[in-house]
Amino acid sequence: MIYDVIIIGGGVTGVGTARDCALRGLKVLLLERQDLTAGATGRNHGLLHSGARYAVTDKESAAECIRENKILRRVASNCVEPTGGLFITLPEDDLAYQDNFIKCCREAGIDAEAIDPKEALRMEPSVNPALIGAVKVPDASVDPFRLATANALDAMLHGAEVRTYTEVTGFIKEGDRIVGVETRDTKTGAEEKFYATITVNAAGIWGHHIAEMAGCEIRMLPAKGSLLIFGHRVNKMVINRCRKPANADILVPGDVVCVIGTTSDKVPFEECDDIRVTPEEVQLLLREGCMLAPSLAQTRILRAYAGVRPLVASDDDPTGRSTSRGIVLLDHEKRDGIPGFISITGGKLTSYRLMGEQATDLVCGKLGKNARCRTAELPLPGSEKDLMEGAKGLKMAEKAAIGRQGTMVSKMDFANKSEVLCECEHVTRAEIAYAVKYLDVHNMMDLRRRTRVGMGTCQGSFCMKKVAAALAEELGCPEKTDEFVQEYLRERWKGMIPVCWGDALREAEYMRKLYADKAGEGEER
Amino acid sequence: MKFDVVIIGGGLAGLTAGVELQKKGLRCAAVAEGLTLNECPREEFIKLGGTLFPGDSVIGGHIVDDGDGKSLEWVETRNLVGTRLEAPYYILSTGKFFSRGLVSNMEGITEPVFGCDVEYAGGPSEWTVQEFFDDQPFEKFGVTTDAESRVKIGGKVIGNLYAAGEILAGRQDIVTTAQKVAEQIIGRKK
Repeated sequence: MIYDVIIIGGGVTGVGTARDCALRGLKVLLLERQDLTAGATGRNHGLLHSGARYAVTDKESAAECIRENKILRRVASNCVEPTGGLFITLPEDDLAYQDNFIKCCREAGIDAEAIDPKEALRMEPSVNPALIGAVKVPDASVDPFRLATANALDAMLHGAEVRTYTEVTGFIKEGDRIVGVETRDTKTGAEEKFYATITVNAAGIWGHHIAEMAGCEIRMLPAKGSLLIFGHRVNKMVINRCRKPANADILVPGDVVCVIGTTSDKVPFEECDDIRVTPEEVQLLLREGCMLAPSLAQTRILRAYAGVRPLVASDDDPTGRSTSRGIVLLDHEKRDGIPGFISITGGKLTSYRLMGEQATDLVCGKLGKNARCRTAELPLPGSEKDLMEGAKGLKMAEKAAIGRQGTMVSKMDFANKSEVLCECEHVTRAEIAYAVKYLDVHNMMDLRRRTRVGMGTCQGSFCMKKVAAALAEELGCPEKTDEFVQEYLRERWKGMIPVCWGDALREAEYMRKLYADKAGEGEER
Repeated sequence: MKFDVVIIGGGLAGLTAGVELQKKGLRCAAVAEGLTLNECPREEFIKLGGTLFPGDSVIGGHIVDDGDGKSLEWVETRNLVGTRLEAPYYILSTGKFFSRGLVSNMEGITEPVFGCDVEYAGGPSEWTVQEFFDDQPFEKFGVTTDAESRVKIGGKVIGNLYAAGEILAGRQDIVTTAQKVAEQIIGRKK
């Protein structure tokens, strides 16, 4: 079988491209070496930019953001929470920046409106009461896991094949042309070959290495961004600092939590697979976060995490210093003499759909296929209509499932599997069974990214054994329950270590007692 | 209110000591906030005549220096407004971090009721190790005592304030530390 297109990378760019290609009638194979959203897609703020942040420094990106922002509110309504955003000026900031900021926003098509600081406090009581200026913008919160999963699901519903835990280890060439890829199953080690007319590199920062394997160079600059996630949602609107973009100046609410970030530091490529948050970064994030919302100082930190932005050095800048946050689409046939290979990189979560559109336009051009992009019009699975209107009388857990999976709840067996396993996020056995059947789940981490199991206040402390047992049973391997629990605990521990004081340390002691203490299993110590 | 022994923290350690002391006829009061992960001999303590203040916590006390050294004169609780608990002997058994016997922030670790000396290492990055299932350094942190299990403040022993259970530095068996403290107090009483 020869595919029309192979897409490398199961982040939001890859799945967005896969969906677009599938909707245009192409035969699609998507390959991801870990799980969907395991890279930068699952390691950011979850901010649907209005574009205001880029209005002063990068007008093109700002205009792109507001266009995509408006589209995603429509087609991904189930993944977006229209929180609105504030850009606040604090006494130590230059209030003069605000006028130019509003002017630049309006030039980019962003509806920015100066409001009285007192009014800002009424709208958003968590905001630093010392503020001297406030601008309201259409920022929003977006669940990147849900967004990427919905794209992957729709791609599959339109015939695409998605293979996770499948790493591309090499390219198959005919002369200079790339005609396929060699892969390795990272769980079993099994090797396979797949053939396609066009191969798309959508691997984010790992695309640097993919391009090298293909025989060309994309000069990427890995920029680590660290974030902290808090156990309570202190703010209802996105809160930004109204100044030149700097470290830790955005606080984003999402579901029941909120996230402060980010830092931005260059890291070596070798570290991209095992990125850790340092104590200095945590201190900076907390200090700056408290400037936006002082109550963060008393709020429990759930975990710290970091992602790597795929910044690309501009091709016409030999020093590699000038990078862009804009979309980078590379036609390697023209650029490097490698037909059959293109790269889509740079960009940001907010512009993922447009990246998919641009990549698919190029793929279709090369295939001689004349098909129009429809991703700006067709709602994603789960966002077809507002089910909440008809949700009266449903149980809390069913409503929660609708919130996450939208119209796909029709595939869930609430009649027989109604027990709630994760109480923080109201995840039932029915939703877990659905995720196993439709959303390509192999372990607890996959399940977490698909359903929010264990993402709430208790972070799985109370439910992980129940959930692991249910997952193992649904997967047909009940003997794996303990392995699942251990794997989950180790992953969670990584995020707790950088913030292990105060309430997080209390939780650490509790977790150790419940799950790691021999005394807890009836043995004397 | 006067007792023979006031137990601050009614978990496994505090109530085990309380049971031993009640058996010897010492009248005990135990202030128990209620956060505990262990099974405690609550009913036995009450059956033996112990007084339990559930859902309450000691918020402070009065430490005096009477020339022979420091001692604790009375404690006050959150619920018993205007009423002090007094006894010749006190047991501090409020546990570690989970039960708030120890409180930590980015700067360090303290014992919140009296400010007892706490043994711990470095900053938060040194309190844990990478592998979840390995013993964690923070599990050994706790208050330091003299050979008779009495706590210290600023290096000076508080002559009638004993520590038992998880609040102690090191990883010691809870019941053993409680029995030791009970024996110390019974020995002194004689």
